[in-house]
Amino acid sequence: MAGSLIPATRPEPAGDSLKRPRPVPAVARAALRLAGVLARRALLLAVLLAFVFAAVELLPGDAANATSERGESAADIAERRQLLGLDRPVLERFWEWMTGLPTGDLGTSARGESVADLLSRPFPNTLLLGGLALLLTLVASVALGCWAAAKPGGMVDRSVSASATGVLALPEFVVAVALVLVFALWTDWLPAVTLTDADGSPASWEMLVLPVLALAIPQIGWNTRIVRAALDDEVKAPHIETAVLDGLPRHRIFTHHLLPGALPTIAAGLATSTGMLLGGAVVVETIFNYPGIGAVLAGAVADRDSPLIAGVVAVTGVVITGVLLLADLVRAWASGGRT
Amino acid sequence: MNLNRRQVLWAGGGIAASALLAACGGDDETSSNSPAKGSEKPRRGGTLRVGALGRASAITRDPHGSQANESDYLIISLVYDTLTVPGTKPNTEPRLAASWQPSADLKTWKFTLAKGAKFHDGSPVTAEDVVWSLKRLRNTPAGASRLPGIKPENIKAEGDDTVVLVSDYANAELPLLTRLTTFVLKKDTSDKELDKAPGTGPFKLDWFRSGNARLVRNEDWYGGEVLLDAIEVKIFESPQAMANALLAGQIDVASNVGAVAARTAEKREDIQIVRRPNDMAMPIVMRTADGPFADAKVREALRLAVDREAMVKQVLSGYGTVANDILGTGDPAFAKDIPQRTRDLAKAKSLLAEAKFDVSKTYELLTTEDIPGLAEAATLFASQVREAGVKVKVVKQESATFWEKTWLKGDLYTTYWGTNDSVVFFASKTMVSDSGQNEAGWKNTEFDDTYRKAMATKDAAARAKVLGELQQIEYDESGYLLWGMADGIDLAGAAVRDLPVLPGYGRVQLESAWLAR
Repeated sequence: MAGSLIPATRPEPAGDSLKRPRPVPAVARAALRLAGVLARRALLLAVLLAFVFAAVELLPGDAANATSERGESAADIAERRQLLGLDRPVLERFWEWMTGLPTGDLGTSARGESVADLLSRPFPNTLLLGGLALLLTLVASVALGCWAAAKPGGMVDRSVSASATGVLALPEFVVAVALVLVFALWTDWLPAVTLTDADGSPASWEMLVLPVLALAIPQIGWNTRIVRAALDDEVKAPHIETAVLDGLPRHRIFTHHLLPGALPTIAAGLATSTGMLLGGAVVVETIFNYPGIGAVLAGAVADRDSPLIAGVVAVTGVVITGVLLLADLVRAWASGGRT
Repeated sequence: MNLNRRQVLWAGGGIAASALLAACGGDDETSSNSPAKGSEKPRRGGTLRVGALGRASAITRDPHGSQANESDYLIISLVYDTLTVPGTKPNTEPRLAASWQPSADLKTWKFTLAKGAKFHDGSPVTAEDVVWSLKRLRNTPAGASRLPGIKPENIKAEGDDTVVLVSDYANAELPLLTRLTTFVLKKDTSDKELDKAPGTGPFKLDWFRSGNARLVRNEDWYGGEVLLDAIEVKIFESPQAMANALLAGQIDVASNVGAVAARTAEKREDIQIVRRPNDMAMPIVMRTADGPFADAKVREALRLAVDREAMVKQVLSGYGTVANDILGTGDPAFAKDIPQRTRDLAKAKSLLAEAKFDVSKTYELLTTEDIPGLAEAATLFASQVREAGVKVKVVKQESATFWEKTWLKGDLYTTYWGTNDSVVFFASKTMVSDSGQNEAGWKNTEFDDTYRKAMATKDAAARAKVLGELQQIEYDESGYLLWGMADGIDLAGAAVRDLPVLPGYGRVQLESAWLAR
């Protein structure tokens, strides 16, 4: 699953969108650039995974020890250590794990489960949570940013900018705890935690509201500022001035000239947020008992379970890489369209 | 949140309850004289939603595997039955084994299976099934400590309904060993079938997904009538999230949620705080084999230097009781006649002087943060013994390091035991000279002899007397400083009735719980 994600889905729609407005050599150039970017990102991911293995190795104790029962004798633990291959050098284990990766084999966890199986249910849940939060971030930050930029220096602008700054400084867990207190425990409007259905997904859509908000709010703060700043830069551009002098209606200037110009910056901001959203999910999932990979990762670290931790990093890394790539393409397309 | 009738009923307590119940209408039950809770008659029906702690990465479905998750253990013990279960008095009660009989030398034990015991698929439970299951359990990595003294080849069937266990040595308390994980599966269940393997327990598995499960009533459970229609088990990674779920009414029971959550819930009249006394022992271990605490006088001095009441009040938020350095406080055989040790700094100082204890040195107390309160206990203890002139520095170790490097080896460290509540359990596992988990490196031939004598004494009264002597030696000499026992704490919604109040794994016995709504 990890191997197929980028090559299969990403380049095709991107290729389409590149094809339409541009002549053929440009497409070839873009494809070459894309391949280069992909290779660089893949290498980066491999280095990151090596770091994960090394970091787990540096932690005190190992998987055989961390997952043992109190009654187990030293001999039993030693036997399991051998079974898990922990007696072999870390480089060898890493290599073995990495070579399994292209076939979609994420290895076996310290407790003997297949890592791919362990991630198959929680990971889509995390993607759902992160995806909704990203969508909300996009809509809210563009709306707020535009609203603020409509009258630079006005009341709205000042209060939106000030609250955005305040909100982006809040850690997710503070937002989460406050949301639970207000919307679940005091007012009883929304569920306090996420409970799981027979199929392993959240039992009702209402359970997604608070976790999504907790994740999105700090990111909305961050991105609103980016949108606002990007629009600000764009307003100063000569073609906007021309448009204003031409007497085009305000909303048309906004949608046809200002926003497209600000798009590359906005895309870059959102792409950065993806990493933050997935990182924040680990914390938020714990607070809301959300059945995602955050819970799996926390347990895996406690178990010194390198294959499982690396599995989480790999799938998350692939998603983040994909989003970054998408942002690059949007930028390429947006800036290409203008020159 | 609105205060509804049920909540008023709970808040009002006994007298108001019967009056209100009469006014409830619906079913015309008059105040019955049920001794359980006030005047209510157990009601059939309803789904109990139980939150239990667990980690997604550690989920297991194997009844004989290593169950790190409470959620897994809860689900398994509702679906499968053990031979015996914890009780209050006596502390071992029948379950799948209806009765048991030892031989004269107390080595051979015959367990007779409960009449009418059936698997969920309708097939009867045979001795062969039990033998196969016990052998499977015994052959797991921790099997030797789960069924100590019983070799796999010494587990045999006799007829259809009798299982014979032969112990390597006389063991008067053998049925105690079968209380925890002797879950019975059908003979020859393969590892692949474990997900769907039928049990014999009060509930049948409806579905299981990622640590969450729905269990439905087993209509013909041999153990008696089950009142709840279903139990839904929800896995929680953090006690805080579990407490929030309960406070928001998303679950009915937050199992083993801890003192912090209880403090939050104290102000809420619609939440029951269920305290299960003698749940968790959190002793301080002083190494007796060698090192600075090898002299019994020094250990005595430390036991006199600790302020037990302050420890219970501060470390356990009052949710616990003062203990007397003897492990196994929940045991009916616990020696209540041994006087409670209290703080005596003057005597502690003189004992230290007598033992020529080096008070100029600073001693390290090693601890870990595996369970809430453990590290706090160490810190408070260090400040208390300073008043007796002993300088102690607390060193917190990361869990894996602690269990690998410190446990069973350290001079002074904290430990905890939450799985059993009997004097014999602790004596056999942690104090007899050759025990595998002898935490203090304690070797005392008098203790060993007394233990063996107790285990070989058939007459209950005579055995109780010997067990008394055993505890006296433990009180005087052992490497344990047991200052208190933490309560197990469950939180429950207003309608939940008859939750278990037993310590340790007794908390999973939910078959008699019911809902007053």
